[in-house]
Amino acid sequence: MSSSIPPWRATASVHSAPTAFPTSATPAYIPVQARRSLNHNKPTYPTTNGTTNQNPSSPADAAQPRVAFPPPVRSYVQRCFAPENEIPSVGNTEMQEKLRQVITDAAESGRLHTIDWDKLQLPQVMIQNERNKILANPSVSSWAGTSQPSSPADASRKRKSTDNLDPSGSASPPWRKTNNRNRFEDRVTYPTTGKKNHIKLDESSKSKANLEMRRRRFEGAGVNYGNPSTSSPIDSPRPEVDQGPVVGRSPTLEKNYFRLTSAPNPDTVRPLPVLKKTLDLLKKKWKKEGNYGYICDQFKSLRQDLTVQHIRNEFTVNVYEIHARIALEKGDLGEYNQCQTQLRVLYAQKLGGNPTEFKAYRILYFIYTRNWTAMNDALADVTAEDKKDLAVKHALDVRSALALGNYHRFFSLYLDTPNMGAYLMDMFVDRERLSALAAICRAYKPDVQIRFITEELGFESDEQAARFVLEQSSPELLEEKQGTVKLLTGKAGLLFENAKAEAHRVVDIKGQI
Amino acid sequence: MFDLDSRAISVSASQANRVRLTMSGTLLNDFIAAHLYESGPRLATVFTPDIYNDNLQTFHELFEPIGLPDDLRDKVFLPNKKQLKVSKAEQKVWVEVFVEYWKAVNELFMYQNRQPGASAVVIFNAWKKFVNVLIRGYSSPSSFPAWTLPCLYISGKYLRVFAIKADAEVVSQGSASFGFQDDLAADFEKNGNLEEAARIMNRMFTLCLSDRAPIEDSRKWGIYNTTNLLFKTYFKINSVGLTKNLLRAINAQSHDLPRLEAFPKSHIVTFEYYVGVIHFLDENYIEAEKHLTSAWRMCHRQALKNRELILTYLIPCHLVTTHTLPSPRLLAQFPRLEEFFRPLSNCIRKGDLVGFDRAMTAGEEEFVKRRIYLPLERGRDIALRNLFRKVFIAGGFEEAKDGQPPIRRTRVPVAEFAAALRIGTHATARTRVDTDEVECLLANLIYKGLMKGYIARERGIVVLSKNNSAFPGTGV
Repeated sequence: MSSSIPPWRATASVHSAPTAFPTSATPAYIPVQARRSLNHNKPTYPTTNGTTNQNPSSPADAAQPRVAFPPPVRSYVQRCFAPENEIPSVGNTEMQEKLRQVITDAAESGRLHTIDWDKLQLPQVMIQNERNKILANPSVSSWAGTSQPSSPADASRKRKSTDNLDPSGSASPPWRKTNNRNRFEDRVTYPTTGKKNHIKLDESSKSKANLEMRRRRFEGAGVNYGNPSTSSPIDSPRPEVDQGPVVGRSPTLEKNYFRLTSAPNPDTVRPLPVLKKTLDLLKKKWKKEGNYGYICDQFKSLRQDLTVQHIRNEFTVNVYEIHARIALEKGDLGEYNQCQTQLRVLYAQKLGGNPTEFKAYRILYFIYTRNWTAMNDALADVTAEDKKDLAVKHALDVRSALALGNYHRFFSLYLDTPNMGAYLMDMFVDRERLSALAAICRAYKPDVQIRFITEELGFESDEQAARFVLEQSSPELLEEKQGTVKLLTGKAGLLFENAKAEAHRVVDIKGQI
Repeated sequence: MFDLDSRAISVSASQANRVRLTMSGTLLNDFIAAHLYESGPRLATVFTPDIYNDNLQTFHELFEPIGLPDDLRDKVFLPNKKQLKVSKAEQKVWVEVFVEYWKAVNELFMYQNRQPGASAVVIFNAWKKFVNVLIRGYSSPSSFPAWTLPCLYISGKYLRVFAIKADAEVVSQGSASFGFQDDLAADFEKNGNLEEAARIMNRMFTLCLSDRAPIEDSRKWGIYNTTNLLFKTYFKINSVGLTKNLLRAINAQSHDLPRLEAFPKSHIVTFEYYVGVIHFLDENYIEAEKHLTSAWRMCHRQALKNRELILTYLIPCHLVTTHTLPSPRLLAQFPRLEEFFRPLSNCIRKGDLVGFDRAMTAGEEEFVKRRIYLPLERGRDIALRNLFRKVFIAGGFEEAKDGQPPIRRTRVPVAEFAAALRIGTHATARTRVDTDEVECLLANLIYKGLMKGYIARERGIVVLSKNNSAFPGTGV
């Protein structure tokens, strides 16, 4: 988040779902809106190492016009900065942060005009009160019951290998500096209600107590919004992360996906027999309704339940394979790639499934993303035994045909793709058509029949071929002579060359390994 | 890894008189001598954890952490107060360094003797502490002088070694822990210790790059050594992408760095090699060739292993950029490379496609492992070019016109190229290439500039360029 954005605006775009939820709601999870867009080029969805779930309403929030503040608010702000109200133990930046948050929350909940600003506590006083509460009773905010010494490390583990290696060598990694301040602060409940787990954190005060408090609050966030009225969390202490798998006891078949921010609650986790029924239900629903947004969400929670219970068996493989195929069919490559990455790990443990089918997809996928380093790894994974498999052999042939520019072979392979590989090949077939046209226009003079293009480049009809050519070039390139349409290759010049270069820009897909 | 400075290996008799050497623990004597001569390499020997070194064993037996501070004061710093230019603050850090060093060494001996509680992970953690104290010695205001850098190098070198051992131990014990991931743990944990080591090395890197002391006494001289160490580590943990950050940081500072040539060759050769390979993996073969060539030129004649590594990537580079093959004389020096490249080269020269494919399949595993499969594959185009060139030459000459020198026949039917392919590939009816595919292959060669001319499809002929330029660079 850029610091140049005025704080009122910045928060609007960062603000995310939880504040909007009434605390009396009873679902045991936060129903984050599932992604509906299938546009795979847009990195709009959370990746496995992403930080927050995208809230579908946030773009609208960001577009909100600037709020005009009523006079009481202004005078409140003035009083905040008055020297006589200063509290020595509360830093100025800390106070401002709090103030920003108070106002933002008020503005977002539409209470700018209803709050009695003259009587509202000043932010510095709020901070002090909160601190006193925490210090007086450190366990009061412990929602999870047990403490989890390992969780901060876990939360950042995925990132550490990359972000932390920034050679600029700053002591605290970038995400620490920027994120936790506004993002997590804003997620906490409305400040005037005086929630006890609402603590202002100062980066500069390095006390461990602060970190501890933040962690607890963070832990609480995932759970207490959802089920304040269900069984008291203290009665059912969740196991520590490293203490081993959770054993679920939720009988419900369906469950929305929510990214975990704390140890999972066994009450909301479904055990294996339930999950098996869930899969059957999902398969039926997918066939009948074909609602991808719903299915994807359900599969993600299914996968999550498997993970937290450390279930790794043939069923796990089956779940990932089915989700991968569905994602593939819908062109959701981000999700597909997540499954593919996990499947690679699972296949390595020889748990069954269809490793060769997915090895073939993996190769096709890397052709599409043009990730040669990963391709090299994928090739290294292929055994002599795998090569006998039709799908693997096909994928390898596709790769080598492209590497050598043999478009003739490439397109005859395209027309004869096993399994669901065609969904993947569709992703890059137009790109390769342009490459082929660039070569054809350079090599053939003065012209070729459009029929030749249709056959060589795997089009369904001459019309489709002609349309494709026209989309990328100008009508002068096509000429009708004695009843046949010809492509004037001699006149194409660099047209297709440029289109090819444009199409071959590196594909960027989030969630890629 | 570092050059021994022979200048400072022994203390001459006259100096020995002036310096109060202690009888116990020659490691400490080395420490004194290193400071006296400001010899980094000699200092590095002090901190080389070679458990078979008698001096190290003596050091380990004679001292223990509690007594070490007093011992160092009484035996090293006090007696040589006048000769050693080591400030009080610096002394304090050196004492800490020795204490942590002793502890790490102790773990090494415990591991060696298979004592309970000893493990590779414990060694790594102890060594990590030692390195951290050492780094502190460089980052504090009364910093260790730049001549002591080899000491940092050696600590980093072993940090990497111990981390790899620790990771192997973790993997063999199979203690995979689950975090809050939605999905199953991927394989990112199997390099946990090495990743941690990389972060520490990164601090060394920053330490060197950001030193603002005058260049004569700057840690900037350590920049390439630490960079190489990180390169090596990133390659090992399969995070080649991270190397870009280092290169970017170095580039941003380049105006403050001495010229590349001013650094020790041992640093530069390795650096250029890695930069070359990084470009190579990005399929940026022209840049790769530049850096690899520079590494090749500077590489020590007798460093066969290194020269072989450089050539492993430089040869495929040449094949892609200039379509040249390694000479038999060059390959003869490197049996392993000869095994890799000789069959391929021969097939490319002869235009033997079947042989080429066979050689690629035979070497596939090794090629993929070394990440040279993809560029080598492009050699097939050259083999094909050579085959088609034979067709062209076999086509002979047009009838000479009134005394003019004979001109080669430049209109060649596609069918002739197809025939050549059929002969070359021993095609059966099932696998035979059809005319369209032959045209496709021809079109590709033309497109890539390996052949000059065009295909007239309606007439089924290839019209090749006259004036000895049908196959550029091959004399016809």
